[in-house]
Amino acid sequence: MAAAVGEKGGQGIMSRLEAKHLSKAFGGVQAIDDFSFSVGERQIVGIIGPNGAGKTTAFNLLTGVYPLDQGQVFLDDEKISGLPQYQITQKGLARTFQNIRLFKGLNVIENVMTAADPYSSYNLADVFLYSGRKRRRENEVREMSRSFLALVGLAGYEEEKPENLPYGLQRKLELARALASNPKVLLLDEPAAGLNPSEVQDFIRLIRTVHEKFALSVLVIEHRMEVIMTLCANIYVLNFGKLLASGTPSEIQNNSEVTTAYIGEEDEACLL
Amino acid sequence: MSIQQLLNGVSLGSVYALIAVGFALVFNILKFSNFAHGGVMTLTAYIGLAAALFFSTWLSGLTLFAATLFSAALAGALVGIVLERMAFRRIRNNNSPVIYYFISSITMGILMENIVTIFASSTFYSYPRFFELTVVNIAHVNIALTDLLMLVFSSVALMILLWVLYRTRIGLAIRALSFDVNTANLMGMDSNRVVMATFIAAGILGGIAGVFLGINYTLYPQMGQLIVKGFIASVIGGLGSITGAMIGAVLLGVLEVTLIGAVGAGLAPVFVFIVMLVFLLVRPRGISGVIVQEKA
Amino acid sequence: MEYIFAVLTFTGITVIGVLGSYLVTGLTGLFSFGQAAFFSVGAYTSAMLVKNLDVPFLLAVPAAMAVGLLAGFLVGYPTVRLRRDYISLVTFGFGEAIIALLNNSANLTGGAMGLSGIPQYTNFAIVWGSVAICLALAVGYKHSKYGRQCLALRADELAAKAMGINVNRIKLVTFLFAAAMTSYAGVLYAFYTTYVEPGAFGWIVSAEWIIIVFVGGINSLTGSVFATLLLTGLPEMLRFASEWRIAVYCVIVLLIINYRPIGIFGEFELTLKWLRQLGKKGVKAS
Repeated sequence: MAAAVGEKGGQGIMSRLEAKHLSKAFGGVQAIDDFSFSVGERQIVGIIGPNGAGKTTAFNLLTGVYPLDQGQVFLDDEKISGLPQYQITQKGLARTFQNIRLFKGLNVIENVMTAADPYSSYNLADVFLYSGRKRRRENEVREMSRSFLALVGLAGYEEEKPENLPYGLQRKLELARALASNPKVLLLDEPAAGLNPSEVQDFIRLIRTVHEKFALSVLVIEHRMEVIMTLCANIYVLNFGKLLASGTPSEIQNNSEVTTAYIGEEDEACLL
Repeated sequence: MSIQQLLNGVSLGSVYALIAVGFALVFNILKFSNFAHGGVMTLTAYIGLAAALFFSTWLSGLTLFAATLFSAALAGALVGIVLERMAFRRIRNNNSPVIYYFISSITMGILMENIVTIFASSTFYSYPRFFELTVVNIAHVNIALTDLLMLVFSSVALMILLWVLYRTRIGLAIRALSFDVNTANLMGMDSNRVVMATFIAAGILGGIAGVFLGINYTLYPQMGQLIVKGFIASVIGGLGSITGAMIGAVLLGVLEVTLIGAVGAGLAPVFVFIVMLVFLLVRPRGISGVIVQEKA
Repeated sequence: MEYIFAVLTFTGITVIGVLGSYLVTGLTGLFSFGQAAFFSVGAYTSAMLVKNLDVPFLLAVPAAMAVGLLAGFLVGYPTVRLRRDYISLVTFGFGEAIIALLNNSANLTGGAMGLSGIPQYTNFAIVWGSVAICLALAVGYKHSKYGRQCLALRADELAAKAMGINVNRIKLVTFLFAAAMTSYAGVLYAFYTTYVEPGAFGWIVSAEWIIIVFVGGINSLTGSVFATLLLTGLPEMLRFASEWRIAVYCVIVLLIINYRPIGIFGEFELTLKWLRQLGKKGVKAS
C-alpha cells in the first residue's frame, strides 16, 4: 500500500482546522452527536461512515450552512463557528459538494472566476468608468483561473458550459473553483463519487498535486476506500452521528467495530 | 374595534379566503404563484352576470343566486381546464424552471383581462339585486344579506374542499403531489389528471369568488388584480398551507377593515404594506407554513 | 413621422426601465414587482422640485436619483434578506404604497389628477443618448465581478455563499443601481410627456418589464433592448390594431415561453467581436 501522504499518524505541528464537540439535531433526529476532530497543517484527513452517518452534515456545520446546536469550530485558532457562510469561506475554508453545484449561466472559466471575485477590490466607479484598475484585475483573475483550470486538466474548456461537461470533468471544475478562493483548508465531499476506477486514480493524483502545491490541509468525505486509504494520514469514522473510531488507515482497517458498522455482523453460516 | 367592524372584516375575509385557497392549491402542487387566477375570477364574474341575467326570467331570490353561483363555478372549472392545457402543461413537460410558470400565468392573466375589456368594453356592469331584503339584523348587529350569504357559501365551499382533500382519493393524490411530483409519478399516479383536478378545483373556487367580488364591487375588467389579496393571505398564512391561507385571508380582511376605519381607504394600502413587511421579517414562515431547510 | 419619433422616444425610456429589470431579475433572479415604482419616484420628485420649488432642472435630476436610491435602500435592505417568493410580494407592496401615497398627497402631488404643466426638457436625442450610456453601464456591470456574482447567486445561492460571495450585499448593490437608473428614466419621462399620474406605473408595468426581459433572452442585454422594441414599440406603431394590441403581445409571449423558453436571444450578446467576425465571414463569402 502506498504510504499515506502528509504527516504520519497524529496531528501536524499546528492544527489548522479544529472542531470541538459538534452537535446538531433535526427535529427528533440527532444527526451529529458530540463529534470532535481536527486537521493539522499540510494534513489530509478523511471522514468515512455508512450512508446517513452524518458526514455531509458535518461539512454543513463547518461551513455554516446549518447553525450548530453545540460545539465550536476554529480555523488557525480563530473561532469561525457562528459566522455567516461567506465569511467562513473568506477566512480560508473552501468546499466542494456531493451533488455537484456548478453555476449554470456562467461558463467554465467564469465559474472559477466567481470564487476569486469576492477578493477583487475594484469598485462600482471603476466598473462604470471602465477604469484600468478593473481591466487589470479582470485580466489577473482570468489568468489565475486559467491556470487553475490547466492544473486540474481542463485547459481548453474555458468557454464551455459547465452542464455540457462530462461528470468527471465537472468534479474537476468544482475543485478548480474551490481553489480559486485561496483556501487554507479544503473540504471535499465525495469527490470521487460516480467516477470509474481510472478516473479515481487520476483524481487521487490530482488531490496529491493540489495538496502539495498549495500546502493545503484537506478534509475528505469518501466512500471509495482506495481514496481514503491512499491519501489520508488520519481517518475519522462516523456512525449515526457519533464518532466510532479514529486513527491511521491501518488502524481503521483492522478495527472490527468499523467493519461491523459498514457490513454488519458476521453470520455464523459464513464461518467455515 | 366594534363587533360590526369585526363582522365586516370576517365577511370580507371569507371572500379573500376563496381567492387565497384557489391560489394556494396551485401553489402547493406546482410551486408557483398563479397570477392567472385573477383573470379566472374576472372572466367568471362576467359569465356569472350573464347567467344571472339569463336565469332571471325564470328564477329569483335564493334560487337565482344559487344558479348564478353554479354557472360561475362551472365556468371557472372550464377555464381552469383550458388554462392548465394551454398555459402550463407544456412548461411542466419541459421541466422548465419555476419562473416560466410565473411568466405564463401573468401573461394569461393580462390576456384574460384584455379579452374581457374587448368584449365587455369598459362600461360598468353590476349584478342585479337578488333579494328584496338587503340588511339582516342579528343580535343588534347589522349585516348585509349578501355579506352573510358570502360568509355562508364561502365557508361551505371551503369545507367541501377540505373534505375532498382529506377524505377522498383524489384529494390524497393532490396532497401527495404537493410533496414531490416525481415520486408521485413513480408511485403510479397520473400527475396530469391530478394537476387537472387541482386546476378545476381552483377554478370552481375562483368562479364563486368572482361572483362575490362582482356583487361586492362593480364589475370591471381590472378586478382580477384582487388576486394579490390571495397572495398576501397565503403568505401570512404560510405558503404551502391551505388552512393557513384561510386563516391569513380572514386576518387580512379584518386588518383591512380596521385600517380603512383608522386611516381611510386611501392610505390603507401603505399600512398594510408596512404591517406585512414587519410580519415577514418577524415570522417569514407565516402562521402555519413550513420552512424547508436547504441541504447542501 | 412625428408620431414614430414619439413612439421611439417612449420606447427608449422603457428600455432604461427594462434594463433595470434585467439587472434585478435577469441577472440576479429577484422578482421585483416594484421596479416601475422607481419610475414614479423619479418622475414625481423631479417634477415637484422644478415646478413647485423652482429648482433648476440639472439639479433636480441627481436629486430625483438620490431619492430613488433612498427608496431603493429602504425597500431593498429588508427585501434581499427574504425568501424568493416574498420578494415579489414586498416589492409589489412597495409599488402600491407609492401609488397610494401619491394619490393621497394631493396638495403636493396633485393626487389622482396627476401633475401637469411640466416643462418639456427632454427629447428623442437625450433619451437615446441616455439609453446608450445606461447600456454601457449595464454591460460594464455584467462583465465585472458584480455581474458574475449576481449570476452565480441566481444559479445557486447556497453554492455562491460557499464560494465566499456576500450574497445580500451584491443583491442590494444591484437593486440600488437599478433603482437609480429607473428613477432617472422616470425623470426623462416626466419631462417629455409633461404630465404624470400616480397610477401609471403599478405592478403590472413591472411585470411587463420582467416578461420583456425573459422574452428577449434570459441573459442577454441585446435581447432586452430588442424585446422592448418588439413588445412596446411595434404594437404602439400598429395603432390601428390597438384593441387587440395587448392580446397580440400576450400571444407572442406565450409562444416564446412555450416554444423557445430561453428567449429570443438566449444568452447571446451583440458585441464588436461578433460583428467583426460577421464582417469577415461576409468578406470571405464574397
